[in-house]
Amino acid sequence: MPAAPTILERPQRWDAAFDANMTEDDVTRLLFTAPFSKMDAEKFPKRTPLREIIRNDMRILKLRKGEIIMRQGDYGTSAFLILQGAARVVLKPDLPPSLLGRQATNKKGIFRTLAQLWNGSRPAEVLSSKLRGENSGLGARQEDDQVHVFLQDVPRVLDKYRTEQMTTGEFFGEIAALSRMARTSTIFADADDTELLEVRWQGLRDLMKYDDALRTHINKIYRERALASYLRATPLFKNLSKEQLATVAEAVEFSTFGDYDWSGEYKRLAQSGSVRPEKEPVIVGEGDYPNGIVLLRAGFARVSQKFGGGERTLNYIGAGQIFGLNEIAHNWRKKDAPVNFQFSLRAIGYTHLLIVPTRVMEEIVLPSLPKNELPPLIEKREDDSDSAPPETAAREKVGAEVLEFLTENRFFNGTATMVIDLDRCTRCDDCVRACASTHDNNPRFLRHGPSAGRLMIANACMHCADPVCMIGCPTGAIHRESFAGQVVINPATCIGCKSCFTNCPYDAIRMVEVRDERGELLVDQEMKPIAKATKCDLCVENHGGPSCERACPHGALTRMNLNNLDSLSKWLKL
Amino acid sequence: MNRFRRQLFFGLFALLAATAGALWLNAKYNALPNYAYLTGWALLAGMFVLTIYNVRKKLPFLPLGKSETWLQIHIYLGFFTTLLFLIHLNFRAPHGWFEITLAWLFVLVSGSGIVGLFFSRVLPRRLATRGGEVIFEKIPALRHALKTEAETLSLGTDTKSVVIAEFYTKRLASFFTDPKNFWKHIVESRRAVNALLAELEDLRRFANDTEKEKIEKLTALVRQKDGLDYHRALQLALRLWLFVHIPLTYGLMIFTALHIVLVFGFSGGAR
Repeated sequence: MPAAPTILERPQRWDAAFDANMTEDDVTRLLFTAPFSKMDAEKFPKRTPLREIIRNDMRILKLRKGEIIMRQGDYGTSAFLILQGAARVVLKPDLPPSLLGRQATNKKGIFRTLAQLWNGSRPAEVLSSKLRGENSGLGARQEDDQVHVFLQDVPRVLDKYRTEQMTTGEFFGEIAALSRMARTSTIFADADDTELLEVRWQGLRDLMKYDDALRTHINKIYRERALASYLRATPLFKNLSKEQLATVAEAVEFSTFGDYDWSGEYKRLAQSGSVRPEKEPVIVGEGDYPNGIVLLRAGFARVSQKFGGGERTLNYIGAGQIFGLNEIAHNWRKKDAPVNFQFSLRAIGYTHLLIVPTRVMEEIVLPSLPKNELPPLIEKREDDSDSAPPETAAREKVGAEVLEFLTENRFFNGTATMVIDLDRCTRCDDCVRACASTHDNNPRFLRHGPSAGRLMIANACMHCADPVCMIGCPTGAIHRESFAGQVVINPATCIGCKSCFTNCPYDAIRMVEVRDERGELLVDQEMKPIAKATKCDLCVENHGGPSCERACPHGALTRMNLNNLDSLSKWLKL
Repeated sequence: MNRFRRQLFFGLFALLAATAGALWLNAKYNALPNYAYLTGWALLAGMFVLTIYNVRKKLPFLPLGKSETWLQIHIYLGFFTTLLFLIHLNFRAPHGWFEITLAWLFVLVSGSGIVGLFFSRVLPRRLATRGGEVIFEKIPALRHALKTEAETLSLGTDTKSVVIAEFYTKRLASFFTDPKNFWKHIVESRRAVNALLAELEDLRRFANDTEKEKIEKLTALVRQKDGLDYHRALQLALRLWLFVHIPLTYGLMIFTALHIVLVFGFSGGAR
C-alpha cells in the first residue's frame, strides 16, 4: 500500500514576516502616519489588506547618528521612509571605498608580485596582522541580530564631502528596490534616535498597486531620475529629438515580473529538478497582439515557443535587450498582413521591464529609424516549420542542449563565468594550483560543476549581472570593484555573517577559517574560529588577468560573459 | 579558421621552415671548424627554453604570458630540438656509455613528450564522450561508496539469496574493491566488463523475482564502477606521462651539464 502523503499547509504570501517583532501598536501607529494615513484601505483587496502589508512587509529600524543606511553600489530590495530624525545623502562624488568598508583595489606592484615567490610556503588563508588591524574609518555595533555599521568621523565627512539632509516623511531607495538596480547614493543617519521604516519590495509593489498617489509619486520620480537617461542611452532611440524622447518617456509603462527572492526558490526548484519554463510568469504570450515593445531594464527573460506539450527555449535576453520589435516593425510596414507575437517571453527569476506602446513606436520611434536599421519582415511561419527567425539564432549558435542547459541553470547571469571545454581539458588541475598560488594557498573555485556535452560550468564565482550575494551584507565587505565590475570581498571588513554565502544561488562562496602568520586559527573571545567569506575575485590585483585562465595549457578554460552567446559560440567552434 | 587550426597551421609552418633552414645550414656549414660547438649551444638553448616552461607553470602569479602559448612553443620547439639533436650527432649513433646514456635520456624525454601530447589530444575527448565527470581525487571515496552499496545489496542481512551472495563473493567483491581494467580502458576495450555483465545476466536464470530486481541493481552498480574505472584509467594516464617526462628532463639536464664539462675539460674542443 502506498505511504500516505505528507500534508502541509500551502505556503502563503506572509508565512515569513519581514520582522516578527512588529507589534499591533507599531502597525496602528504607522496607519496613522503619512503616507499610510492618506491611503484608502478600502482599495486594498481582502487577501492583502493594508494593515497586513504593514505588519508583514515592513520593519522599524532605530539608528544612531552616522550609521550607514545604504551605500552607493549596494544592491538592496527595500525602500525607506524616515519616521523620525533625519538622514543624510552624500552627493557626488561619493565617499571613498575605505570609508564604506570596501577595499580600494590596486594592482600589485612589482615587489608585491615578486613577494609571492616566497609567500608560497605560508599557511593557507592567513589574515595578516595589517589586515586585522586595518582601521577603515568604520565602526560597528550589534543590536539583537542586526549589525549596524557607522562612520566614525561624521564631522569630517560633513566637512569634506557634499551632502544633503532628508527629514521626517521623506521616502528613498524605492527605485533601486523596484528595479533591482545598484543604489545610486550613500545615505547615513543624521541624528541619534533616527527611526526608519524599511519596506521590502513585495510590500512596496502592493502599495503601488492599490494606492494611486504612491504609484503616481514613484512613477514620477522614476521618470525624472532614471528613465530619461536610460532611454537616451538606448540605441533604438538615438535619432529622437529631446521633445520626442520626452514624449516616449511619458508614454512608457514599467512593470516587474517574477520574484526578487528568486535565488532561494531557484535553489529549491533546481534541487527538485522542476525548473520548467511553463512555471515562469508570462510577460508576453505567443500569439498575443503586439501592443508594445518590451525593453528589459534588469533581470532576465526567456524567449520560448510552444513545442508539443511544453515550451522550448529559443533564447534568453538580459538587461538592455528588446523583445517584440520585429513584430511591431512588421505590422507598421505591412498593415495588410499583421502578425501577432511570434514567441512567448517569460520572466526568469525576476524581470524589471519597460513597455513602449505600439502607438508611440509607430508614430515616433519607427519613422526615425533608417531603413537599413529596421528588422526584416516576418515571413509567415508554417506550423511545422523549424526555420529559425532572427530571435532564435541563439539556438543555432550554441545548440539546443547547451541553450536549455544555460537557461535551466541560470548561468546567463554570469559576466565572467568559468567555462571549461571538456574535450580539451586534461584534468591537470594547473588552473586550481594557479588559483591557490595567487590566493593565500587556497583555491577559490572547484574544477567541477554541471555539464552539458563538452561544456562544463565550474563552481566559481560568475560575477553575476544580478549579484544576489551583495544583498544584505551588513558591512559592505562584498562589493563591486567598479561600476559593473568584479564582485570582490574585503577580508578586513568581512564579519563572517554568511549572508553572501547563503544568498549565492550557485554555491560559489565558501566560508573559510582564517589563521595568523604562524598558521594558528584565529578565534574570538568564545574560542570559536573566525570565518571569512572567500570567492574568486578574477585576480583583480594581479597583472595579466585571471590566473586560472592563463594557467590552462590547452586553452580549455575561459572566463566568459554568458549573456553574450556569440562569444560562447565562437569559443565552442574552436 | 578557428584558433586551434590557426595554431596548428602556423606552428607546422614555422617548424617546417626552421627544419628546412637548419638542414640547409647544416649542409652548407657542416665542415666548419667548431661546428659541433655551434649546434651544441643551439641545442642547449632549445633545451633551456623547453625546460623553463615548468618554471612558468610554477609561477602563475607573474605576468609571464599564457601557459597555452608556452605549450605551443614547447611542442614545436621540442620537435625542432630533436632535429638539432640529430644534427649535433651528425646523424650518427652515439658511442661510449656516457653519450649513449645522454642520447637515451633525450629520446625518452622526447618520446614521453610525444606520448603526452597524444594523450592530451585524445583522452579528454574520450572522457567527455563517456560522461560521468568525476574529480580524480574523489574516485577512491566514490568507489568505496559503490562497494558498500553492492555489498549491502548482495550480503546484507535482508538478503537471503545464496545465488547472489556467492556470485558477489567470487566475482564482484574484487571488482568493487580495486580499480580494474586499466589497460583495457586505455585501449577502449569493453570486453572485460561485457563478460562480467553477461555473467550477471546468466544469473537471472537461477533467480526469483526479488533476486532479479537485485541483479538489475547490481548491473547498474557494475556499470557505474566501470565508468569510474574508465575515468580513473584515463585521468591517471593523463598524469602518469608527466612522472616520466619531468624527472627524466632533470636527469637529461644534469647529464648535459656534465657533457659540457667533459667536452671542455677533456676533448680539447669538439670538432
